[in-house]
Amino acid sequence: MTHLKDGDHERLVSAQFSPQAEAYVASAVHAQGADLDALAQMMAGRGAARVLDLGCGGGHVSFTVAPHVAQVVAYDLSDRMLEAVAGEAQRRGLSNIETAWGVAEELPFPDASFDFVVSRFSAHHWRDLSAGLTQARRVLKPNGRAIFMDVVAPPNDVLDTFLQTIELLRDPSHARDFAVSEWVERAQAAGLACQTVTEGRLRLEFSSWIARINTPDLHVAAIRSLEELATRDVRAHFEIEPDGSFTLDTATLVFVPV
Amino acid sequence: MTQPQRPGHEVDPKLLEILVCPLTKAPLSYDRARQELISRAAKLAFPIRDGIPIMLADEARRLTETELNG
Repeated sequence: MTHLKDGDHERLVSAQFSPQAEAYVASAVHAQGADLDALAQMMAGRGAARVLDLGCGGGHVSFTVAPHVAQVVAYDLSDRMLEAVAGEAQRRGLSNIETAWGVAEELPFPDASFDFVVSRFSAHHWRDLSAGLTQARRVLKPNGRAIFMDVVAPPNDVLDTFLQTIELLRDPSHARDFAVSEWVERAQAAGLACQTVTEGRLRLEFSSWIARINTPDLHVAAIRSLEELATRDVRAHFEIEPDGSFTLDTATLVFVPV
Repeated sequence: MTQPQRPGHEVDPKLLEILVCPLTKAPLSYDRARQELISRAAKLAFPIRDGIPIMLADEARRLTETELNG
């Protein structure tokens, strides 16, 4: 990676993910989930729709929706991730997935150009969630839907801090897992009204969780130390297991433009 | 999975139809020979690499006065 300016947040995100592109395409945590099944159901019968997969990562949203819709644009700021997604799309015979490289805060698409903007496990890396939401709103058609799936912070400050801390130790490009209330508030300010929230839980197996992003040993030891020192409430909420595996909160939020 | 190496791979025309300049949101013109997307309004040329348009201002080439007047 010689692109993006040294020291930029986006450069850090891209540098974190580019060497791991294939791991994210292959990751079962990312490739499967009730949220993807629900997404496929939402797309059924929308054969003319154009979909933006915003922060596509390993491309699992694109692969899920492409068979149901006319066109999918897989958009990310890791070129290696996009190459891996283009290769996997070709392998699966999904010819209606196109790839473009850029940041969420400056989308290179006209106003009202997408029927759906879908973003899964991406927003917690963005430099500016509000700017990304404003752009998502801008490119959405008036009768479109914006669907965001991500890890969410628990509505308790102690639990929230524990989550953000282990996330940052694991991946220095982590920005923030937002609480559902923060999502709703920021989206509202960006002109998106929350229609539904579907909450879930996601178990993360420790060794693959850190291997996927090459967490340095020093940080792994720090995460394990925090887990061992965690209070009863924290241990209970995150269901921390002896090997460090744990379970966190996720949500799918569906927004309509207002 | 192996990395697909597609030298000369062209950007999909269906994608070109909906791309605009990320800064000005103005339309882009496609320079097929140079594999660039030209934003006259922003005076920038966005590169296309292996069929993937790179829509980042930091990665774009600044257009020369000759190109702008041409």
